[in-house]
Amino acid sequence: MPDYMIELRNVTKRYGDVIANDNVTLKILRGELMTLLGPSGCGKTTALRCITGHNIPDEGEVWIDGRDVTNVPTHKRELGMVFQNFALFPHMTVFANVEFPLMIRRMDKDERRERVMEALRLIRMEKYERHYPRQVSGGQQQRVGLARALVYRPKVLLLDEPLSNLDAKLREEMRFEIRDLIDRLGITAVYVTHDQAEALALSDRVAVMNTGHIEQVGTPSEIYDYPQSRFVADFIGLSDFIEATVSSVDRAAGMGVVRANGLDIEIPAPPSLSTGERVLVFVRPNDVDLLPGSSRGGTNVFPGEVGKVTYLGDRNDYRIVVGEGLELRVQTDGKERFHEGEPVKVRLPATHCRVIPD
Amino acid sequence: MTLLRQYLRALLNARKLLIYTFLLSFGLMIYTPFLIIVFRSVGRGWFGRMWLPPEYTLDWYRWAIEVTDIPGITVNTLIIAALAVIMATVIGIPTGWAFGRRRIPGKELLMAMILLPRMIPPIAFALGVAQIFYRLQLIDTHFGVALAHVAVCAPYAILVLSATFEGLDERVLEAAAVCGANTLRSFFHIVLPLIFPGILSSMIFTFTTSYNEFTLTLMTYGKDTVTLPVRTYLAIGEGYWEVTSAMSILLIIPSLVVLFMIQRQVAPEKLVGGFKGV
Amino acid sequence: MKSGSTRRTALVTLVMLLPGLAGFFGLFFYPMMVTVVRSLRPEGVQVGWTSEHYISFLMEPRAREVILLTFVLSVGATLLSILFSVVLCLVLRRKPQGNRFYRLTMLIPRVVPGLIGALGLLLLFGSRGWVNLFLIEFVPFIDEPLSLNYTVPGLIIFYFWLYFPFTAVTTLSTLEALDPAIEEAADVSGANRWQILRHVVLPLIMPGILAGSVLTFMAAFGAFSIPLIAGGNYRPLSVEIYRQINFTPARWSAASARAMIMAVLQVAFLSIYMRILRRPVV
Repeated sequence: MPDYMIELRNVTKRYGDVIANDNVTLKILRGELMTLLGPSGCGKTTALRCITGHNIPDEGEVWIDGRDVTNVPTHKRELGMVFQNFALFPHMTVFANVEFPLMIRRMDKDERRERVMEALRLIRMEKYERHYPRQVSGGQQQRVGLARALVYRPKVLLLDEPLSNLDAKLREEMRFEIRDLIDRLGITAVYVTHDQAEALALSDRVAVMNTGHIEQVGTPSEIYDYPQSRFVADFIGLSDFIEATVSSVDRAAGMGVVRANGLDIEIPAPPSLSTGERVLVFVRPNDVDLLPGSSRGGTNVFPGEVGKVTYLGDRNDYRIVVGEGLELRVQTDGKERFHEGEPVKVRLPATHCRVIPD
Repeated sequence: MTLLRQYLRALLNARKLLIYTFLLSFGLMIYTPFLIIVFRSVGRGWFGRMWLPPEYTLDWYRWAIEVTDIPGITVNTLIIAALAVIMATVIGIPTGWAFGRRRIPGKELLMAMILLPRMIPPIAFALGVAQIFYRLQLIDTHFGVALAHVAVCAPYAILVLSATFEGLDERVLEAAAVCGANTLRSFFHIVLPLIFPGILSSMIFTFTTSYNEFTLTLMTYGKDTVTLPVRTYLAIGEGYWEVTSAMSILLIIPSLVVLFMIQRQVAPEKLVGGFKGV
Repeated sequence: MKSGSTRRTALVTLVMLLPGLAGFFGLFFYPMMVTVVRSLRPEGVQVGWTSEHYISFLMEPRAREVILLTFVLSVGATLLSILFSVVLCLVLRRKPQGNRFYRLTMLIPRVVPGLIGALGLLLLFGSRGWVNLFLIEFVPFIDEPLSLNYTVPGLIIFYFWLYFPFTAVTTLSTLEALDPAIEEAADVSGANRWQILRHVVLPLIMPGILAGSVLTFMAAFGAFSIPLIAGGNYRPLSVEIYRQINFTPARWSAASARAMIMAVLQVAFLSIYMRILRRPVV
């Protein structure tokens, strides 16, 4: 029986006519870092706030550590939370900020001091204890926020786009710090972001959300390599989509052939694939190979003409037209350069082509 | 709904009840004084311990209008207010323009200075104003009273108009010039429409301030320049609550009209007459 | 920019400022000066200097009473305003039913002439007024009307009614400017509603409350029309001043001296208050 720390069971939350969370069910394992990923308005923050208790679901239940907390007020849920704009108490010093939860819990003064200093050491800010939030940088403020959230050793840490207000380089550094901290403390974490690179880099599992419901839950590689919907394929990384019809299926080999835009493409066939079915095939632009026009043909090798070219330094981005007007986006490592109008050969390696279920 | 959810809803409702009781009391606190004035102004024979008058009449209003010459007094008040508005606006526009569009050394200090007349109790400098006016024979003149009002009206006008001019984007004028408008056309077609709401706003504030002004009027009025506030004060002294109430209702109408008109547009902070940097 | 045009701009600016400056000097500064000078002249005379008016007033036993009364009324009204405004604004910020109406209501005492408000309050609290009728009918141990008008507590209530909007408006805007995430952070950290109020919200809005209360205090300190009609035998400083010129012959010098004392007291109090405001909030 999997050990779930947090569960959203059929949670629905409405704001007027808008359904922010539509019958959302999500189970988060003890000790894992689950990221809620999606564009703005997808409902990820709403779902997070149902976990914290800032939103009360209209329908459904929220369970934390085996308790139904749906009607338990936020301040009794024993969670830690980090905010996008840090939300430090401006009228308190760094020390007082981190001390606050312990003071609320009526911890004895000396013990408080010990714990606060321990937390400050964890984020390497012991020297700043007398500083005020406005006197330290954004990154430091966020670390203080972390310390404040963790000082009372909650079982769950919630992070609401904690790095969005930091500049790019700092974001990358803080990413590792956060992950490191969470691993060391063995805490369960729920992370909300719209930045897919962040989600893929940080998480044990990712829940991709779109307009109020969960599209897919899986490990970063599952999400990236085996997206279960067009939205997920499109949202994570770059994708080329090919609408095709299944021409034939070889069940023994697990392969099939689909026809699209006058081309026959060999693809791995999921068990349910049947002839005549309309399917959506997708492939990642950087998995597609570009060969000079003079190359030999082969399986899934198609002649095409180079359209737009964008040189990106370490990569080249091409729009290539193959078959009957099928435009594919291709990215190469930049070693070979093709020019606009040049005839080329495009190879879609069969193993990297995927069928997206409906 | 689970029992727990019902229980929590009930708690929330008890809380709501408390809140709405509080708000209701607040509303009562503010409006009952006016309500009782209204009833007093139309009641007849309301002597004993009764919640409402036993009979109703418009006699008091008739009395106010005929005997105490309310129409004449209203005319006085309006003339004085109009003069005060003109003068305050004439002062306010160039000052507001200067504050809003030019860098001035010590602007904050100047601003605080301009607002001083609203911070010092009027009685303090009203004394000096009265003495000066006696010497200049401005007592009991509409112009004189209006001039005294300007002391407390102009700060409002300046405040509002500096904000108005500050909000006038230089670039809009430049765009107009680029489109080919000369200064005069620019002024009429662009500047005037843009600053008009601000001017209107300041005029409304100034008018209300002058209309309601009592202390300065008291120190500079005479038999020809009795205003509604002063007459009301005198009436209160005379002790006829009914007539006084009728007068008060008549006095209050413009304020309420103005309040209603501007309630959609202006931020409450401006109305209250505070200022930045206290 | 050529130096010629900068000089011209400066000249234009100066010209534009002239009406305002003229108004200020003519209608405020010069009259204040007149009052200062008058306060130091013997009564009814245009020459000679004397400090007799100041001395005679300050030596009077009444002087202390009058000044004390003025302060008691102002401080009382201010404290009441702060208390009430904080509660009112905490309620209003959650935007309950009728919230727009109540925000407008908050302004009423400032938009209507003070005299009218005072009249209404006098009628309301009078022996035949609704307040007494209510008390007699619904409160068991009160059988006779309470004398509320023309008393110090009554005056404090009147002042409060008229001047609380200053405090309320700034408190509300400060409250609404608070980042909600800060309170949420306190919430998640384990603080219940009261603890959040006490440790986070109130300390953070205190500057706004105090700034607004300064306005209330100053308005109450200088209140004139209200005590004039509703003060009865209690005369704060402003009414004292007026009394002096109601004698025949009018005692302008005595009035001016009292006005100067009042102005000085007000400025002194203001400076102390501002100093307290500048201290970092605990």
